[in-house]
Amino acid sequence: MTTAPPFSPATDPAPGPAPVQGAGSAARPVLALRGIGKTYPNGKVALRDVDLVLGEGEFVFLVGPSGAGKSTLLRLLIRDELPSAGELFVDGRDLARVPHRKVPELRRKIGIVFQDYKLLPTRTVRENVAFALEVTGTPRGRIRPAVDRALAVVGLGAAADQLPTTLSGGEQQRTAIARALVHEPRLIIADEPTGNLDPLISWEIIQLLLRINELGVTVLMATHNADVVTSLRRRVVALEEGRIVRDGVGGYHRED
Amino acid sequence: MTAIVGFPRFLAFSVGRALQGIRRNALMSLAAIATMVLMLLLLAGFWLLQAGLVAGVAYVEEKVEIVADLRDVPGAEAALTVEAQVLAADVAALPEVREVRYVSKDEALARFRERLRERGQTDLTGYLDRNPLPASLEVALVDPREYQPVVDLLSSREEIVDDVVEVQRLVERLTSVTDVLRTGGFVVLALVGLVVLFIIVNTIRLAVVARREEIEIMRLVGASDAFIRWPFIFEGAFVGLLGAALSLGVLALLAPPVGDLMYGFFRVLPLELGALARDVVLLVIGTGLGVGVLGSWISVRSYLAR
Repeated sequence: MTTAPPFSPATDPAPGPAPVQGAGSAARPVLALRGIGKTYPNGKVALRDVDLVLGEGEFVFLVGPSGAGKSTLLRLLIRDELPSAGELFVDGRDLARVPHRKVPELRRKIGIVFQDYKLLPTRTVRENVAFALEVTGTPRGRIRPAVDRALAVVGLGAAADQLPTTLSGGEQQRTAIARALVHEPRLIIADEPTGNLDPLISWEIIQLLLRINELGVTVLMATHNADVVTSLRRRVVALEEGRIVRDGVGGYHRED
Repeated sequence: MTAIVGFPRFLAFSVGRALQGIRRNALMSLAAIATMVLMLLLLAGFWLLQAGLVAGVAYVEEKVEIVADLRDVPGAEAALTVEAQVLAADVAALPEVREVRYVSKDEALARFRERLRERGQTDLTGYLDRNPLPASLEVALVDPREYQPVVDLLSSREEIVDDVVEVQRLVERLTSVTDVLRTGGFVVLALVGLVVLFIIVNTIRLAVVARREEIEIMRLVGASDAFIRWPFIFEGAFVGLLGAALSLGVLALLAPPVGDLMYGFFRVLPLELGALARDVVLLVIGTGLGVGVLGSWISVRSYLAR
């Protein structure tokens, strides 16, 4: 786990004028989970009776100790796994009713960012971002402008032709965020995006995600970074042993 | 998905990505192609051995003949008597018979002298006052195992047939050996084929496993199964074709010396080198392409099942 620097004037985490949205926003839900449970074939119960609604444009932290079910929850959202119980709606569509061959289209509406970036080391930054469009059959003429746009949002235009291995961790993560953005998703899921980064760079990545959120993209970020969560005062969903134990604006830890 | 994009575009995408995949993973591709070449050469080598073996066995079996010595008819030293002609025609009409050859007394003597000369033995036949060798009918069989009807027919014409040379034990011993050789050759070829299949599929599998990260990313960004699968299948096909082409190149280089050797060795055998060469070309290309595609299909499948 990283700790924020005692002072970070250059990357002031204050949310500024961003609208603060409470739990169960009235806006059209991007994500709705009702009574979701997940039991693995080996009998391990990862999630039980999870209810969660994410409104359009929300920025939500998902916190909890390792093994609390965060990763399982994120995997359910992209239908990498199916829930054992309950209903799960993404963008108004019941995931259980999405046929197998329609799953790819669903995934294009969700951008995903991982702790380990998952970039292709033999491709440049531009090629890594374009990859997401190429393999989904986007016409060549539409790829270039979309990639340029995504790289501009993350501020990597100048490094477009470099290989990921020559970049810093922060730049690699920004490349991954650009790739997540290039399909213009309505929801970005970030699984420990700052887990491999030092505190200063972590703040830059958070700032970037906040800016993307201001553009109207809903962001769900799983993290262990207590300083970031506590200082941003956003909606926090805390999982413990597969259950939601807290859902509301607050810090990383329970505040009594 | 593919319907929206259009098939030609999808095809171009898959082929392009396949070529890119080979280039970007040069080391793995080279390893796969090298394995492919070695395995195809092994398969082709065993195929040729098997063809030679089968031809050799057939050649030996062809040599099984039923020989009927004919009774001497005075004055018929060189020609065939009418009775013998009738018998020869009757025998030739049997379905078991491939060919009937009449050997006259003169011809039999000439053969005998030839054999003596080959062995460097003194030819004393000149001192004989008459030719002691009988005329005979040599009956070649379609299948050496089916000799009984021919023997029965020949034995029944005692008035012209003096003796039917007993072939039963020879045939039984010979066919038991040739059957074992044929079956053994086929089993070895089948085993080599299985080993080749397994090793090539496994090599391609390794090449695909090395890129599971790429497949994982494709799934996460929403690539459809077809967009993930087909580039790999084309890649497998290209690796297979490239391996087959290289193998055929090596075989072509080896063909003149090996061909000479085989010709010298198999000259006597009923082996058509033209047809054999065509079979080997088809075998190498078919196996390379087929196993390349199969290997990719199997390897990618496990990542798409979820």
